[in-house]
Amino acid sequence: MPSRRRTLLKVIILGDSGVGKTSLMNQYVNRKFSNQYKATIGADFLTKEVQFEDRLFTLQIWDTAGQERFQSLGVAFYRGADCCVLVYDVNSMKSFDNLNNWREEFLIQASPSDPENFPFVVLGNKVDVDGGNSRVVSEKKARAWCASKGNIPYFETSAKEGINVEEAFQCIAKNALKSGEEEEIYLPDTIDVASSSQQRSTGCEC
Amino acid sequence: MSSDSSSTSGGEFTNPNPSPNSTSKPLEDQFASAALTEPDNEPPEIQESPNGVANGSVGENSHGEIESNEREGAVGSNLEARQSVRWRRTNSEVEVEAPSSPSSSGYAGERGSSSGSGSSGGFDMIGGGIGGGDDEEIQEVSNVDSIQDSQASWMPGKRHVDEAKERGQRGIYYGNIVMIEVGVGNRDGEGFQCSTTISDPVMVVVVLVALVVAVTMVTELVDDASLSWRKRKKHFFILSNSGKPIYSRYGDEHKLAGFSATLQAIISFVENGGDRVKLVRAGNHQVVFLVKGPIYLVCISCTEEPYESLRGQLELIYGQMLLILTKSVNRCFEKNPKFDMTPLLGGTDVVFSSLIHSFSWNPATFLHAYTCLPLAYATRQAAGAILQDVADSGVLFAILMCKHKVISLVGAQKASLHPDDMLLLANFVMSSESFRTSESFSPICLPRYNPMAFLYAYVHYLDVDTYLMLLTTSSDAFYHLKDCRIRIEMVLLRSNVLSEVQRSMLDGGMHVEDLPTDPLPRSGTLSPHLGQPRDSHESLREPFVGIGGPAGLWHFMYRSIFLDQYVSSEFSPPINSPRKQKRLYRAYQNLYASMHDKGIGPHKTQFRRDENYVLLCWVTQDFELYAAFDPLADKAVAIKTCNRVCQWVKDVENEIFLLGASPFSW
Repeated sequence: MPSRRRTLLKVIILGDSGVGKTSLMNQYVNRKFSNQYKATIGADFLTKEVQFEDRLFTLQIWDTAGQERFQSLGVAFYRGADCCVLVYDVNSMKSFDNLNNWREEFLIQASPSDPENFPFVVLGNKVDVDGGNSRVVSEKKARAWCASKGNIPYFETSAKEGINVEEAFQCIAKNALKSGEEEEIYLPDTIDVASSSQQRSTGCEC
Repeated sequence: MSSDSSSTSGGEFTNPNPSPNSTSKPLEDQFASAALTEPDNEPPEIQESPNGVANGSVGENSHGEIESNEREGAVGSNLEARQSVRWRRTNSEVEVEAPSSPSSSGYAGERGSSSGSGSSGGFDMIGGGIGGGDDEEIQEVSNVDSIQDSQASWMPGKRHVDEAKERGQRGIYYGNIVMIEVGVGNRDGEGFQCSTTISDPVMVVVVLVALVVAVTMVTELVDDASLSWRKRKKHFFILSNSGKPIYSRYGDEHKLAGFSATLQAIISFVENGGDRVKLVRAGNHQVVFLVKGPIYLVCISCTEEPYESLRGQLELIYGQMLLILTKSVNRCFEKNPKFDMTPLLGGTDVVFSSLIHSFSWNPATFLHAYTCLPLAYATRQAAGAILQDVADSGVLFAILMCKHKVISLVGAQKASLHPDDMLLLANFVMSSESFRTSESFSPICLPRYNPMAFLYAYVHYLDVDTYLMLLTTSSDAFYHLKDCRIRIEMVLLRSNVLSEVQRSMLDGGMHVEDLPTDPLPRSGTLSPHLGQPRDSHESLREPFVGIGGPAGLWHFMYRSIFLDQYVSSEFSPPINSPRKQKRLYRAYQNLYASMHDKGIGPHKTQFRRDENYVLLCWVTQDFELYAAFDPLADKAVAIKTCNRVCQWVKDVENEIFLLGASPFSW
């Protein structure tokens, strides 16, 4: 049944509270945006099916709460992630500075097998605000940081206007997929019964 | 509600002679004492019937009461009482799970939830979504009182009946209260009965919020399929500890990815705190969790089955998964938490759904015993002899079965086969269509024998229901086993075993109508046998009984503890529709759970009367007897009848059980 063989990719979205994680997810999954801010509690979960190179994937998106009081959820949430999306607000330097903490925290808690090459994607959100006049983090600065962390793909997005959201998640799916490519070898043992009974079996087979 | 029950754990019921060989003779004496010590102040059961009339509406009284016509010659007042009881019985049948009728659903009902991120509204939504909505739903289809009554009389066992009633009422009045019962991990022995509350308030909030999200996820799937998905009364899920779905009884696993993530968040979070979620109660729904290393299993049910039963079902589902894959999948998760198991389980959906279906008809799923096809002693011996022959030639287990009943089984020296493994193996073979069409050789794992490694099973159907399974440790033994099968098949044909099997399938096993009335049937030739034409017993029936066996006996199950086998009487009127059978099955399941309740049990006897049945259970070191009677049956006579059932089972034990081959005695 080749049609049943679909891959599920677990994507974690991290970043300071208020940078627009939930809005990005809603824009991507539901194509909706609301100006009203509602803090995520714990985590929200959404799924979206994506087609990529003639294969069908299900993105299982874990939209986490940015507030520090939910940090203790980490281990439970990060385990087995295929890709981690780091989001900051281009109008807030602090949210950009914190990217480093989020990345470190994720690598510690999720402890992926190959931390150096674990796929991250960085999104600089809210580029639409005030026509870009209130922007404090330059694209150059952001790209430099991404380059220093092993060439993390970088996108400038606006969840409100829907700018670059589709492209960013396409890249997320692609990278998540790449990391999941090495197939696990599943090799169960066979029972080895005590030699006495096996000797007996050969003896009786005449 | 005039359900009365009595139980004793006192010395007078202790089997004076616990050795297995002595089971036959002291029973009569024990029952005599049982009858003597029964309390005299038994509430008059007729009181029950006025209640039934008062609660019932006249209109519904008219349907479905054909059975009472068969009670010819009954005294007038008695007949009236009986009718009202009958009405209540049909009424409460509505609560039985019936996948075909969407109106009796648990999940249905409008849920006005918008998003899972509402902060203070979260608690209300749980109530409205899970608790309140479902109460409403059930009121539509049935009488809430009767459901609450039956729930109250069952839930946490006899000594807690009052508490249980309270709980049941809470279900009605405060449907929006979510009870979280968490057992602390390191006090596993005490476990769930002493429902620990989570001490950290943040943790409670998080768990509840996660539940809100769960409800939201369910409501956000808006296609038709999800509507019917919500209406299901009993869901089973398998997921990995990273939240990736592995199996769902209903719906597409990938579409439920968000839901499965929610379940993982709840489980993992509580796990991180050093605790373990065992049960979340939300209105009528129970959410039961089972953690097996990197595999999480969850059941969401509004069937009112006891927690222990639902957890046992999750254990079996896990066992079925191991049977297909072995426990070495754990290593894959250790190396790579992202590991996706679904491809490995490809094509096995039907195995799981068949197992889940058996949770509502096969007593083996909670008795942890297997049952045999009734056969003449010599016939079973002949089958056993040829199986023993091949077992001596290097076959680990040789099992001959007809549907889910064992004809004979044999194991190599020191190899023991657990009844649960047999259940899972038979389910695997019977549910996989490909085994029927040709001889097959398949790797399988017997989780109770060795969960880490594969055995190889040669499977061949000898006729449409009868199949032979030869288990070996050698992956290249196919041709040897094929030769074995040919030899076995020849012998079975020559000795007429297969035709006897066919005949037994048609005749069935023990019928309650055939229960011998003679209290001392051991005078040689009078001993009844299954093979005798059933008409010969007609004249012996007690004249005042219209339906079922003597003294209103409707059905029984007898489990021999040291044989690991049980025998169940054939269903006959009035337990003749699948719905009634399923309800009796559930009643037995409840009875079993209450008898084996670790907190307050184990018990030796239990007598329980409600609007549906009189249920009688008797547990000794040698056997367990479960019997269902007419709800108006006399208690003393019922006890006497149970005594006769035990004697009857003893008299025919070499036909209904596989003797001398107990899997644990090798």
